[in-house]
Amino acid sequence: MLLKQRHQFAFSYLYDNYSSALQSIILNIVPDYDQSADVLQEVFVKIWKQIETYDETKGRLFTWMLNVARNASIDTVRSKAWQNSKQNNELTETNFSAAGSVQMNVDQIGLRKIVHQLKDEHKILVELSYFKGYTQDEISKMLDIPLGTVKTRLRTALIHLRQTIKQ
Amino acid sequence: MNVQAYIESGVIESYVLGMIDMQDASELQGLSNQYPEIRRDIEKFEYLLEKASFINAIGPPPALKEKLILALQDDFAKEERVIKLNTVASNENYTAPVKTMAPWTRYMAAASVVLLIASAALNYYLYNQIKTSDRKYADLVKENSTVTADNRVYQTKMLDIYNGMQLMSNPSMIKVVMPGIKGKEEDLATVFWDSKTKDVYLLANKLPQVSDDKQYQLWALVDGKPVDAGVLGECNGLCKLKNIQKAQAFAITLEKKGGSIAPDLTQLHVLGKVV
Repeated sequence: MLLKQRHQFAFSYLYDNYSSALQSIILNIVPDYDQSADVLQEVFVKIWKQIETYDETKGRLFTWMLNVARNASIDTVRSKAWQNSKQNNELTETNFSAAGSVQMNVDQIGLRKIVHQLKDEHKILVELSYFKGYTQDEISKMLDIPLGTVKTRLRTALIHLRQTIKQ
Repeated sequence: MNVQAYIESGVIESYVLGMIDMQDASELQGLSNQYPEIRRDIEKFEYLLEKASFINAIGPPPALKEKLILALQDDFAKEERVIKLNTVASNENYTAPVKTMAPWTRYMAAASVVLLIASAALNYYLYNQIKTSDRKYADLVKENSTVTADNRVYQTKMLDIYNGMQLMSNPSMIKVVMPGIKGKEEDLATVFWDSKTKDVYLLANKLPQVSDDKQYQLWALVDGKPVDAGVLGECNGLCKLKNIQKAQAFAITLEKKGGSIAPDLTQLHVLGKVV
C-alpha cells in the first residue's frame, strides 16, 4: 500500500473507488445532501493530508477512511452552527426538501439499511452510538438502562449487524 | 484463553466500527498479533463492512473531484513514482520501469527543468503585465471619449446661451414679461419679439416641471383671439417659436404633447401684455 507517496493518480483512484461509499456513510449521519458533500470534501482533504497516520497493520484502508468520515460527520452534527441551522428545519425532520436543502431518506443507504433491519432495541443503541456518536455512558443515562446492559446489548446488536450483512 | 468466545463476543465488530475504548482496543490489537484467528476475523468483518457501505451508495456531486484536486494541488507528489495499490476494488499493480541516468545528464535534465520553470514563470508574469496594460489603455480610451462628448455638449449649450444673449440685446427686440396669473404667482416667462423680423423667442424663467405627455404652448392674443405661437421644446436659454405678425399680448397654457388648436384656459399659467 504505497499510497503514502501522494501521487495525484493515487488520489484519483481512491476518490473514484470510495467517494460514493464515504458519501453514503456521511449521508447516514448528515442527511442534508449539500452539507454532506461539504463534509465529504473535508474528509478527503483529511485523508490525503493524514495518510501517513494510517497504519496498515491495524486494518484495511477503507476501515480507516470510514472512521475518518464518521468522526467528521458526527463533529459536523454536533457543531453549534449545524445545530442552529437544524433548528430551522425541525419540522421537516427526515425527507422533505426545505429552502433549497435536500433532506434525504437515508434509511435505505449503505450501512443504515442494515441497521434498519435490526430489532428496535438493538437499532436504537446502534443509532445513538454509531450514527449519533454518544458514549455508552450518555446512552445509559438517556435511556435509563444500566451501563453494563448498554454495553452487552450493543455488542449483541453488532453481532446481529454482522449476520445481517452476511445474508 | 477461549479465542472463539472472544471472537464471538462482539468486540471485533466494536473495534472495527470505532466504538471501543482505547484499553479494549490495544488489548485486541495485542491478541490479534498473537492469534491469527482473531486477525482473520477482523479482516473478514472489515471486508463485510466495506461491502455494506456500498449498498445503494449515493455519489457526491460531480464537481467535487475537480474541486478537491485543485484544493490538494500542493499536496500531490511532484515527481512520477511507482504507485502500488492493494485494495478490495482492485488488485492491479502499477509499475513503471526506472532507468538510471549518467550524472551529467541528470544535471542537464535538472537545469533544463529549472530553466523551463523560470521561463514559464516569466511568461506568466509578462502575460499578466500585458493584460493589465491593455485593460488600462482601454479604460483611458473610454474615459477620453466620454470627456470629449461632454465637452461637445457644453460647447453647444454655451453657444445657444451666447446666441440668446445676442438676441436679447438686439435694439429691435420687444420684451414681454409674462408673470404668473392668480394662484400661479410663482411662475414667470418672458417673450422676446423681434419687431423687424417678427420672430418670437421664449425664455421660460420659471415654469413647473411637466410630465412627458404634456407641453407648454405659447399663444399670441390677436384682437382678443388666441393664435398658436408654438410649443416649448427642449432648448437652452432662448427657444425660437413661431413667427407672429401682430399681437397685443402673449400667454402660456399647459397642453397635451404637440400642442392644441385652442388653448385650455383652465391651464393658463402666465400672461403678459405687449407694452
